[in-house]
Amino acid sequence: MATTIRKMICPRCGAEMNHHGNKLVYDIDPQGTRQIDPALGGFVDEFHTCPKCGSIATRAA
Amino acid sequence: MNATRPLFIPVILGTVRMGRRSLHPAQLLTRELGKRAGLETELIDIAQLPLPTNDAGEAIKDAGFSATMERADALVIVSPEYNHGYSGLLKHVLDSCLKEYIHKAVGIVGVSAGQFGGSRVIENLLPVMRELGLVTIFWDVNFSNVRKVFSADGVLLDDSYLQSIDQFLKELIWMARTLRQGREHITVD
Repeated sequence: MATTIRKMICPRCGAEMNHHGNKLVYDIDPQGTRQIDPALGGFVDEFHTCPKCGSIATRAA
Repeated sequence: MNATRPLFIPVILGTVRMGRRSLHPAQLLTRELGKRAGLETELIDIAQLPLPTNDAGEAIKDAGFSATMERADALVIVSPEYNHGYSGLLKHVLDSCLKEYIHKAVGIVGVSAGQFGGSRVIENLLPVMRELGLVTIFWDVNFSNVRKVFSADGVLLDDSYLQSIDQFLKELIWMARTLRQGREHITVD
């Protein structure tokens, strides 16, 4: 499934990264610039790791 | 897995108290990790991290500490027990990162002047580790009566600790390898 998922590219070495987790993060930004999911009470971040160099990256889910 | 890249497992010394006896267990764990093939380590003294105390969380992220946590495959946290808990500064340091910890292994070493070997501080750290995205192992090392376990200059006086450290590190390294494989190759999608 999910063949249309946009892969992250490692900012350090250019390899395709692996999306291995999502985490609920609560908003502590005083400016409140991110859209909170009302069902979850926060927003979800994706966590990606590069299989070539081990770098990590995140983005909003 | 990229077999040419060694595992990196730093040891975090979780106290800044003057005369801290947790330094000796932290140095011992660092030495024992350093003996293992295919593995790199270093001792991180939170007293040496220049984190401000007028803010908290990722807003005060230190670039050097963040880079070390990103490189890490697992952590060893050595913590004394302060009134049954962990030091506020240890929590302050740990809270400065998040993405750097996700799906990485952690083992906790408790230290106490009394007989319980930091078992209460370990229990108190477990929910913090979980929320930070770290994966705890089921082995601990408990240094009870730490003043009697090491000489004043840090020589281990009770070799029986080496057996529990060996089991602790075997489990931690297995978990570090397994989680690296997962982070790098097993997708959540």
